[in-house]
Amino acid sequence: KCPDPKPKIQAANNFAMRSARRQIGYQSKVLDRKLIHSRFCPVHTIRLPNDDGFYTCVKFLPGDQHIIVGSYTGEIRVFNINSGSANEESTFSAHDSYVVHIEPNREGNLLLSSSTWGRPLSALWSLNGYEMKYAFDDEEYIEFSKATQDRIIGTKGEIATIYDVNTGTSITRLVPTVSNQYTRNKATFSPNDDLVLSDGVLFDVGSGHQIHKLDKLNQMQSGVFHPNGLEIVSNTEVWDIRTFQLLKTVPVLNQCQVVFAPVNSTMYAISLEQEVDEDPTFDSSFKTVDASDYSSIATIDVRRNVYDLAVNRFDTQIAVVENQGVYHAPQESVVRLYDVGRKRDDEDEQEEEDDEEEDMS
Amino acid sequence: MAFHYVVTAHKPTAVTSCVTGNFTSPNDLNLIVAKNTRLEIYLVTPEGLRPVKEVGLYGKVSVMKLFRPQYEKKDLLFIVTMRYNAMILECVSDGENLEIITKAHGNVSDRIGKPSDTGIIAVIDPKARVIGLRLYDGLFKIIPLDKDNSELKASSIRMDELQVMDVEFLHGCSNPTIVLIHQDLNGRHVKTHEISLRDKEFVKIPWRQDNVETEASMIIPVPSPLCGAIVIGQESILYHDGITSVAVAPPVIKQSTIVCYARVDPGGLRYLLGDMAGHLFMLFLETESRGDGADVVKDLKVELLGEISTPECITYLDNGVLYIGSRLGDSQLVKLNTKADENGSYVTIMESFTNLAPIMDMCVVDLERQGQGQLVTCSGAFKEGSLRIIRNGIGIQEHASIDLPGIKGMWALTVASVGKQDNTLVLAFVGQTRVLSLNGEEVEETEIAGFASDQQTFYCGNVTHEQIIQVTPISARLVSAQSKTLVSEWKPHTEKNISVVACNSEQIVVSTGSDLYYIEIHPNELIMKGHVTLDVEIACLDISPLGENATSAQLVAVGLWTDISAYILRLPDLSEAYKENLGGEIIPRSVLMTCFEGHNYLLCALGDGSMFYFSLHKDSGMLTDKKKVTLGTQPTVLRTFRSLSTTNVFACSDRPTVIYSSNHKLVFSNVNMKEVNHMCSLNAEAYPDSLALATDNCVTIGTIDEIQKLHIRTVPLQESPRRIAYQEQSQTFGVLSVRMDIQDSTGLNPSRPSASTMTQSVTVSSSVGSLSLGKSGVSGMSGANTTPEYGQEIEVHNLLIIDQHTFEVLHAHQLMQQEYAMSLISCQLGDDPNTYYVVGTAIVNPEEAEPKQGRLLIFQWADSKLTPISEKEIKGSCYSLAEFNGKLLASINSTVRLFEWTAEKELRLECSHFNNIIALYLKTKGDFVLVGDLMRSMTLLQYKTMEGSFEEIARDYNPNWMTAVEILDDDVFLGSENSFNMFVCQKDSAATTDEERLQMQEVGQFHVGDMVNVFRHGSLVMQNLGETSTPTSGCVLFGTVGGAIGLVTQIPSEFYDFLLELQNKLSTVIKSVGKIEHSYWRSFHTDIKTEPCEGFIDGDLIESFLDLSSEKMKEVAEGLQLVGEGGMKQECTVDDLIKMVEDLTRIH
Repeated sequence: KCPDPKPKIQAANNFAMRSARRQIGYQSKVLDRKLIHSRFCPVHTIRLPNDDGFYTCVKFLPGDQHIIVGSYTGEIRVFNINSGSANEESTFSAHDSYVVHIEPNREGNLLLSSSTWGRPLSALWSLNGYEMKYAFDDEEYIEFSKATQDRIIGTKGEIATIYDVNTGTSITRLVPTVSNQYTRNKATFSPNDDLVLSDGVLFDVGSGHQIHKLDKLNQMQSGVFHPNGLEIVSNTEVWDIRTFQLLKTVPVLNQCQVVFAPVNSTMYAISLEQEVDEDPTFDSSFKTVDASDYSSIATIDVRRNVYDLAVNRFDTQIAVVENQGVYHAPQESVVRLYDVGRKRDDEDEQEEEDDEEEDMS
Repeated sequence: MAFHYVVTAHKPTAVTSCVTGNFTSPNDLNLIVAKNTRLEIYLVTPEGLRPVKEVGLYGKVSVMKLFRPQYEKKDLLFIVTMRYNAMILECVSDGENLEIITKAHGNVSDRIGKPSDTGIIAVIDPKARVIGLRLYDGLFKIIPLDKDNSELKASSIRMDELQVMDVEFLHGCSNPTIVLIHQDLNGRHVKTHEISLRDKEFVKIPWRQDNVETEASMIIPVPSPLCGAIVIGQESILYHDGITSVAVAPPVIKQSTIVCYARVDPGGLRYLLGDMAGHLFMLFLETESRGDGADVVKDLKVELLGEISTPECITYLDNGVLYIGSRLGDSQLVKLNTKADENGSYVTIMESFTNLAPIMDMCVVDLERQGQGQLVTCSGAFKEGSLRIIRNGIGIQEHASIDLPGIKGMWALTVASVGKQDNTLVLAFVGQTRVLSLNGEEVEETEIAGFASDQQTFYCGNVTHEQIIQVTPISARLVSAQSKTLVSEWKPHTEKNISVVACNSEQIVVSTGSDLYYIEIHPNELIMKGHVTLDVEIACLDISPLGENATSAQLVAVGLWTDISAYILRLPDLSEAYKENLGGEIIPRSVLMTCFEGHNYLLCALGDGSMFYFSLHKDSGMLTDKKKVTLGTQPTVLRTFRSLSTTNVFACSDRPTVIYSSNHKLVFSNVNMKEVNHMCSLNAEAYPDSLALATDNCVTIGTIDEIQKLHIRTVPLQESPRRIAYQEQSQTFGVLSVRMDIQDSTGLNPSRPSASTMTQSVTVSSSVGSLSLGKSGVSGMSGANTTPEYGQEIEVHNLLIIDQHTFEVLHAHQLMQQEYAMSLISCQLGDDPNTYYVVGTAIVNPEEAEPKQGRLLIFQWADSKLTPISEKEIKGSCYSLAEFNGKLLASINSTVRLFEWTAEKELRLECSHFNNIIALYLKTKGDFVLVGDLMRSMTLLQYKTMEGSFEEIARDYNPNWMTAVEILDDDVFLGSENSFNMFVCQKDSAATTDEERLQMQEVGQFHVGDMVNVFRHGSLVMQNLGETSTPTSGCVLFGTVGGAIGLVTQIPSEFYDFLLELQNKLSTVIKSVGKIEHSYWRSFHTDIKTEPCEGFIDGDLIESFLDLSSEKMKEVAEGLQLVGEGGMKQECTVDDLIKMVEDLTRIH
């Protein structure tokens, strides 16, 4: 009989044991990261100032002092989250409808937004004064290029178009020869901007040529690049970019939108809304997955429907759009900020201070 | 802004890698040892290891290999650092000097790529055609070695095997071929790949073996003619060469994991294996003839040879001698014997090399109350666990002592003896002289007929022509050494008494007030050869001969009373050669001319314990390079003595000091004695190479330790010490330690005798305790399921009470099963006058992510008894404790909690702070608490007395995974994190907005290259020693996983600017081995960012200035400007720099 694997000295589930072994020189950063990403403590709740509509999407602005939130009515709001309570600093009406996506650039002077219908469907804004710089009336979804944010890539159905940020003019159109017809195609740049993945097809940005078509194993998502530049996560499948071999299947990612933490090698997954009887439904939890080996870390139930999730620059806070009620008329809509890694103190009943802590939210 | 100077006081000692080969020349057998960032090169000689060169790298050595290119007669060294800098080094000797030349270098990292869990693996083809690197999952990199290329450029080959456990090159292959163990969903497999160097790709798979042992983790390639590879698993060993496959499962290796190996013979039939438990095995390949003349492996045999230090690496030197490199304990040189000793061991330890690593905790104490700190560290782990007592300075090993108060002088003599050894000790008292004869270890009082015993002796000694001189206030008496009778006497012409005298074996100078007489010693005759009357009275004299083997002096050194000056006079006419005004009002009390490392010095000690020293030009008598140090606070007497054939000076004072020269700099090293009034060398039959030291009340005869700067004493515990606290009141140390017990048929039993099992006095926390277990869902704590599996290792935690003088374990208190001791302090609480040991614990259930329960235990050690005073249940693990305004501060899981000590001697929770992930570290100052978090860097809290609560004052928002924190001053905080960096944060109280005030600014960052486990305020050297050119303030010592001790001190802005300029110049003048930029090495580097070093000066680089040649020094000094007096910038000379850097070296 083969021996059972011995527990590795680095691998101790209990942090008290790990802390002692770290001092001897056995590091266990992976398990520490897993510990952090299994616990989230709510710290702020930002409610909608009126009953009109609900929040739909959220991002941290560079510097992590502010978050920017999109809403059902097409308004985009900015909140200061640094002061004791979250204050709305500004708001502007960007779209006519449900804002599906917002993305500030790293300098914090530009913003991309996309909505479901009306004009502009997608647009590039200056964050100083919220002036619209360019409208992209055909694009259902737009995002920045990654390494240098000098380009924008828009998606309309299976067609991806690359625009220049400064002029708003179209540079390249990437059309797959045979469409995979993913229902939620989102064209995206690779981490070093040399590739684009759209409709399950990898394009070389320089030449505009198709390089490879990934096997279609789901109906909705074309996939995203792993920030390590080596892998594509397409629904539950993980593809090796170098060999196009299937590396792994990760069932917990099924029908999930993934958000990579900028540090710490972790991904957050939230379920995409599911069309059931015409009305989309949402999951009331989000998941964390180790982004280096795709092992599942935790599922965090927030008891409300999760519409969107954003991670700050250091992966120390996340913002979650949580709505309660049915799709088009949520009863309560909030953006909730969580501290990553902090335990909810609700188990601790003996101290009053805990209550104060909870009251902050 | 805050600026800091960081320097290593004790270099890392953990051995991470070792290799043997012909590195320094084709005929030299060398051992090369890598200790973190340092390489030590030894020559293997029949007498043992001789250190020949030490090299510092700008990187932590990850892999080190020796290889020999086909065109070379000696080996080259290949190194990859943790940050992927690769280099090929060659040793070139020009005469005596060995130089390490970087033949090739380059960074082999990829911008993208998944660093492998199994770390960096580097292997070299046995024919030295190619280097192979496994750095990232799914990639194998090759560096062809075909031509002389100074750039190491790696090309990548895609590898289907993603999880690779180990890789090696196979021997005897026409093309370079690797063999690897990899893991996939089905298990572990062995596979080979042949590499085409031309196409830079794998071309074929010569053989493979699927499904080897699931824990197979190590490959040993077997050299020609056998070839093939050995695969080491947890329980089995497999040999495979593509055709033959032999697998064995020797029971002897089952207990532990094999971690390293060394090949014994070039033919590759014998290998040494070392396991985690410190067992050394021999693996033999048994061969049989295949019929065609070639041999083939038939069987594998493993034999246990004996026990060694927990090995990290092993290398076979020669003649049955091997070097064991250890990270957790002392490294060793061991010899293998052909016959087993009485314990069945084939291993003899020849030499041990002290290793402080890993330093888990430490405390700074002043046991001898001399105003000088000593460090006591918790070092090592498992069976290598020990306490180490580290002091700056020199230890005197006391061999005998005689109670004799009032000694005014002391000299050793050889009287009426044929031998050269001393047999008599002359002691001077006020108004009398006593003579002791040393007969073996017997000491008895005797008399020398020719001596004036009713006078105080000023000087006494053996002199030329077998005579003895005694100088008293009345006269100088010459006595025959054989007959002990007076042969000649010299008296001053005036009625004045002799006040000061100096003598060597041929010459005497005496003074009566301001008259100075020069007398030569002849057979049976004292002849006065010179006389001079000086303007002022003479305070001290010296006539030491200068130069090797010189017996007479050409110069006399004189210190004068009222005009506070030093004269150099020529002999025999006593004419003035040089005069130096010392300045100030303190009278010189002792002068000494001496020669260190071929360099002549004049030392002049003053009445206040300070000392001037000068370079003395032997011919002209000129004094130059005046410098001053403070040795003590009382008048100092200087004496020379010889130790290990070098000249040293002993400065007798209230802080006795040994002065010696190292690398042509004077080093002042404290001696571990409280006070020494007089000393003399003593080389007697029973006390060879000893010193006699007189204090106020007694004479001590002792030997001096080998002269080195840091002196380390080891107290082995044979179990892992984790925390240490000092309790002055009870003169004890409290130590938390962990031993391993093994479940066997009779229950849990200690795996080996260790500190907690060998002490006489043991108490045990009741296994039920007062904890209401199970309440909060702690499962597996009680009932039948606590019984561990047979053979399972269980950690048992103890509080040890250790005597501060003898370091004997007085008591061990064992905690409950599954209760881990996490933190320890000694403190007083509230109005309670007692001092307590407080232990914070955690109940550890391995299934849970973090402990849910723990205890605070309060003990009192008094009258050799450990009394439990109080205990408090807590909801988690107590990672850190601190005394805080008479209350107890504890960090428990994510919380920081303050407990009051009530009149009923119970802990009562007063207030808590919650905003942490895991609060691992606490430091306090006044009302402030600094919290170090697992991930969220540092937070400063203020205790609000009125409200009885904590307020968060400031926080560092950067995601630093902390390993230690310290408060430097009210606004400046020091932290270290788990990517081997340290940083300084500053609180900005003057900021205009609340937001800015709440945010700490990171004002300094520095890559240490080693993980800091502990910071402690304190210093290893005497504080405030006189004038220094270096305005440093405060001192924090740190201890690392690699066994290094460093210190951080604050420096003012202008000094920082100057040192930064010096550092920049040095980084260009000193060419780094491996051609890694200094700025790259010290940049703050983590998995997510790399930022330039700032706010810190690299003291290690600054101090390397002193090792430069004088031309290089000139090059560095060129253009540097100092801010002189009055704020004027002035050119900085080499001498200015030397003095400044020397002063900097004296802070540690």
